[in-house]
Amino acid sequence: MASPAHHSPAPQPEQVSGARLVVEALERQGVDYVFGYPGGAIMPVYDALTGSPLKHILVRHEQAAALAADAYARVTGRPGVCLATSGPGATNLITGIANAFMDSVPMVAITGQVATPLMGTDAFQEIDIFGITLPIVKHSFIVRDAADIPTVFAEAFRIASSGRPGPVLIDLPKNVTNGMAERSEAVEQPADKMPFDAKAIAAADALIASACRPLLYVGGGVAIAKAEASLRRFVERTSIPSVATLKGLGSIPTDDPTFIGMLGMHGTRAANNAVHECDLLICVGARFDDRATGKLDTFAPNAKVIHLDANPAEIGKLRRAEVGFAGDIRAALDAFEARPDVAAWLAHCQGQRRLWAPRYDAPGQGVYAPALLKTLADRAGERAIFTCDVGQHQMWVAQHCRFSRPQAHLTSGGLGTMGYGVPAGMGALLAEPDATVITVSGDGSFMMNVQELATLRRYRLPLKIVLIDNSQLGMVRQWQELFFEENFSEIDLSDNPDFSEVAHAFGIEAFTIDRRSQVAGGIDRLLGTSGPILMHVRIDPRENVWPLVPPNSPNVEMLEKRW
Amino acid sequence: MTARLNVDFVPTEGAMLRILGLIERRGFRVRELNLGERQSSSSLSILIEARDAGRQVEVVARQIAGLSDVSAVEVTPSQTMVPA
Repeated sequence: MASPAHHSPAPQPEQVSGARLVVEALERQGVDYVFGYPGGAIMPVYDALTGSPLKHILVRHEQAAALAADAYARVTGRPGVCLATSGPGATNLITGIANAFMDSVPMVAITGQVATPLMGTDAFQEIDIFGITLPIVKHSFIVRDAADIPTVFAEAFRIASSGRPGPVLIDLPKNVTNGMAERSEAVEQPADKMPFDAKAIAAADALIASACRPLLYVGGGVAIAKAEASLRRFVERTSIPSVATLKGLGSIPTDDPTFIGMLGMHGTRAANNAVHECDLLICVGARFDDRATGKLDTFAPNAKVIHLDANPAEIGKLRRAEVGFAGDIRAALDAFEARPDVAAWLAHCQGQRRLWAPRYDAPGQGVYAPALLKTLADRAGERAIFTCDVGQHQMWVAQHCRFSRPQAHLTSGGLGTMGYGVPAGMGALLAEPDATVITVSGDGSFMMNVQELATLRRYRLPLKIVLIDNSQLGMVRQWQELFFEENFSEIDLSDNPDFSEVAHAFGIEAFTIDRRSQVAGGIDRLLGTSGPILMHVRIDPRENVWPLVPPNSPNVEMLEKRW
Repeated sequence: MTARLNVDFVPTEGAMLRILGLIERRGFRVRELNLGERQSSSSLSILIEARDAGRQVEVVARQIAGLSDVSAVEVTPSQTMVPA
């Protein structure tokens, strides 16, 4: 008789801390960089970070963590991750989270929280960040059990990236990250997949085939859907001309013969005229934003509309579409077979583009920012990435720099976040270390995240900053001049610090130019320096951005520069 | 213009706030609200009223349908005003 088998006791599943599960969940998602700033309630996670292959970038303000994560996501196409403590750490993330929400950027924002028994008691550094951010996140979680961490993180990354991407917030109470739980496999949901609407494609194809003056209206959704190649193949097949929104720039290379220009408030007259004259508007990944359309009921007045978007809620939101397609933009573009005869229409649009091309021969000896930026973009080449702040310089970059891919132009389009430029430059450099990353800023915007010069210095990030300084809040001044009867109110920044000295104080090379004759040498030095560098450019405070559509006016009623 | 929305959703933390907040932010008033609960899902019947003529019920319904916790949205047009 065989003796009974001796069973050694089954090994007990290993108990690990919630904070360790957080770090392991990030590693499992393939995260390489986390942008953050430690503090009380998030300390268990920071404790678990030591020894992890995750690389943490210590910023000097949590807003910069969120904005850098945003830019990192735009360049890589993967969710950016930011990390902050409870209370003010969490609230400082808000602008960056809202920025990602408005521009549909995948992001996972992680915040510490006071322990669950203290939640709702007004404890030290307790704030309801879950409630505060409800309108500006795609989704959010409060984790109340450490065992849920693997599944919550897997779900957060899936939601952030799928469909129309956006930020997801995970709030982590301190007793959860300090608590113990068994390691477990995340319960992952399959990615959402929308059915392909073949009937819509056939109807759209018929509209394209019968159009005489079709026009592509390209938005940021093309890059989000990774649909640039499909879009370019469609243009090659059809020769249909295109215009782009601020965020759509680069989806079709801006020097492509079929590209007519940026549309909208600070777009080109050629692009706005094309929209006005077209008989079919093919909207791809755009959302009829007011900065693009001007007075909505005068936008593309003679056109039928085909609207392609990943988000069903965008179809018909502001402009009725004869055909709406919600789903995979790439598949839609690849499925079109129509070959309309557009030779005469394309030639007409190209003639308009030549006729309304910007001039760079401004009178005087001072630096003319549009000319400087055009030269800089030409010199920087295909591998350059431009990040911007918000204001006049932002529009000059969009108007005068060339872009051959949308990831080369990182701009805060929806929220319009002054202070985006430098943190975005940091995120872009970490995402694409071999790229020449150039931040174009203004003297107002630059001061909103100036502390991040310390981060550039710490990590030796070779960001090239072009600070265009008119000693004014230039865009506000321009509007006060044009639309508020020159009643200039609180736009004077003439007591700015010496920006070169500020940069030097952070250990960053810097120099100042203020004459046109210094531009070529300045660009040489900017592009030839291996480390971070700031070129401070003084310009005429009276310079405005042209052309301009006055607010609530049709896009064809543009104000032009006169020399 | 009023309409009734029937929304099926998973009652996770914040799900109802997310639905109601979206309706308010997108230009509608909530005029009537009923919550029903089943085993693992909940159902909201919401009478909404547009704050201005430019608001489309179909658009806000699609926006609600895009929320992660929401499994279905049904719209029933209604012209009848509910007493305030």
